[in-house]
Amino acid sequence: MPKPRILIVDDEERFVTTLAKRLIERELEVVVGVYSGKEAIEEVRNNTYDVIILDVKMPGLDGVETLREMKKIDPGIEVIMLTGHASVDSAVEGMRLGAYEYLMKPCEIDELMEKINGAYELKTARDERIRQAEVRKMVDRRPG
Amino acid sequence: MPKQITDSYRGLRQYIIIILLVAAAIPLAVIGGSIYYEYRASVREKVTTQLKSIVTHHKESIESFLQEITAAMRVATHLKPLDKIAQTEVLQNVFHSLQREYKHAFEDLGVIDSKGAHLAYIGAYDLLGKNYSDAAWFKEVMDKRVFISDVFLGYRQVPHFVIAVKEGEGKGAWILRATVDAARFGTVVENVRLGHTGEAFIVNKEGYYETRPRMAGDILEKIEPGSLDLAPFDGVKFWEVKDKNGQKVLRAKTWMKDNNWLLIVKQDVDEAFAEVYKTRNMAIALFVIGALLVAVVTFFTTRVLVRKIEKADEQKRALDEQLIESAKLASIGELSAGIAHEINNPLAIIGQEAGWMQDLLKRDDLKGIKEMDDFKDSLREIARQAGQCKEITHKLLSFARKTESVIKNVNINELIEDVIGIVEREAAVNNIEIVRQYDEPLPLIYGDPAQLRQVFLNLLNNATDALKRGGEIKIETGTGEDDSISIKVSDTGVGMPKEILTKIFDPFFTTKPQRKGTGLGLSICHGIIEELGGDITVASQVGKGTTFTINLPLEQKRGET
Ligand SMILES: [Mg+2]
Repeated sequence: MPKPRILIVDDEERFVTTLAKRLIERELEVVVGVYSGKEAIEEVRNNTYDVIILDVKMPGLDGVETLREMKKIDPGIEVIMLTGHASVDSAVEGMRLGAYEYLMKPCEIDELMEKINGAYELKTARDERIRQAEVRKMVDRRPG
Repeated sequence: MPKQITDSYRGLRQYIIIILLVAAAIPLAVIGGSIYYEYRASVREKVTTQLKSIVTHHKESIESFLQEITAAMRVATHLKPLDKIAQTEVLQNVFHSLQREYKHAFEDLGVIDSKGAHLAYIGAYDLLGKNYSDAAWFKEVMDKRVFISDVFLGYRQVPHFVIAVKEGEGKGAWILRATVDAARFGTVVENVRLGHTGEAFIVNKEGYYETRPRMAGDILEKIEPGSLDLAPFDGVKFWEVKDKNGQKVLRAKTWMKDNNWLLIVKQDVDEAFAEVYKTRNMAIALFVIGALLVAVVTFFTTRVLVRKIEKADEQKRALDEQLIESAKLASIGELSAGIAHEINNPLAIIGQEAGWMQDLLKRDDLKGIKEMDDFKDSLREIARQAGQCKEITHKLLSFARKTESVIKNVNINELIEDVIGIVEREAAVNNIEIVRQYDEPLPLIYGDPAQLRQVFLNLLNNATDALKRGGEIKIETGTGEDDSISIKVSDTGVGMPKEILTKIFDPFFTTKPQRKGTGLGLSICHGIIEELGGDITVASQVGKGTTFTINLPLEQKRGET
């Protein structure tokens, strides 16, 4: 089974690097961390990711705005939002914009892994359906 | 109550009383005063008119008496020629007929010729042969044909006056002279009675009494010098003076008998205006009674009024205190939320770091470390304590947050029953009996069931903690005032002193032993109930127990969120 490509976005650098190490320790592939919404959008534009772990409360571009931009670039991307308690409203807003799930900070690694796997399964299943649909389209186009 | 506030109420009361009294007294005084002065003026008018009419009337009757006698003598002189009347018998006849006519008013009667010689005389004096040619009255009667003298005391020590009439012209002229009893007109004047102090009298132009005054002086005595203005005038004069006793006197006067006699009618002001003074005293009494009545009414009304104001102020103060309390809780909540949020990030990193170390310790190449168990134990504790902190910050945040809670119809009885289900077993173990007193059916309310469950769970947990040696927890529900429902949770536990009760809803305030409670439970309850537009209050007695009362509106009022 292929492994999800993960992008971690949080303004707390130490949080990003340590979380990245822990995810790599759990054998997830290509874990990249960035420290602002702007960098995250740039990263999504240039590379392909399956699951984004996105902090809601960041200086500059906040989580909700970042999510909106990312979904414009790649609608198929799955996002797990991390929130403090006070920003649950923003998390709900994020869900409306198409985030997969939200978790309250600080969160258990096992819980996070569960959500990542869930998000990735959803994405791969959908990608599979898209692929099959494209195949059918190509078959239909073939004359005869 | 502080002294300053009591003083301000007393000041307010005095202010209102003074204002009302002044406002009532001024019109009362103005109306009373003006009516009194109107009345006094009209009475004065009446008295004046009365005195003037007495003066005029008596002047007329005295003058007509004098004219009558003069006319009678004139008739005698016309009827009898000098040679006849100079005979004693004829003069005697004339004298007797005059006496008959005028009831013995005449003292004597004489005939005098143009030279002033006494030709005949009937009377007590021996006047025959006496010559009057140099007397002032002789010259006057010769000149004016008639002379009436001032009053003098005659032979019988009775007041008299002389009337002389002239008959004929030149050398043949002669005079009939009579001495007349002055009592005839004197009594007319002296009998004037005006109450106790009213009287009338006549003085001549030299200031001698011509009649007997009732009050002071006697006939033919001189009047008090300077007490009367003797300058002649026409008509009637009316004036007011103070006599030598300081008594105010009203006087009317008129000149008669060719400005020789002054007729005076007088009365003491006190008597003339007795009625006025009576009325004035009554008016003053009425004014005083009225003012007293107003004062009493004002006093009591003001007292009631100020008491009401005082009460309203007290209520307002209580309300202000409540508002300040709510504001305090709100600001503490906001502050706590801010702190909690700031702590959340470091906590997340601590947890993450501990987790990473736990991850590392799971690697195969680290399996042989001697202190592995110590490491693992230590890291577990770090993670656990970080988790504890997380718990606190989340509770703080939930106390402060304004979330869009899931609002729906809630049956409070059912909801409480759910919560009792959670605590029932532990209660039974601790020998606690839970008594339910539900009002059924209870109207549904709008609220977040999860939050409400948290509230009642908190209250029941607190009650359980208060009942260490067992006891009773009673839960009552019912409809309250103003479309609300009320829920009472009471225990028969240890109770709380007043100092604790006032702080019980403050965040971080706890009576539980260290590490057992966060001190956030009741402040969260307070926040939830307030958010729903209700209120939560507590009453407690040390040793008897504690009661929490919650009121929740049926219609939700959440204007502030
Ligand atoms: Mg952040």
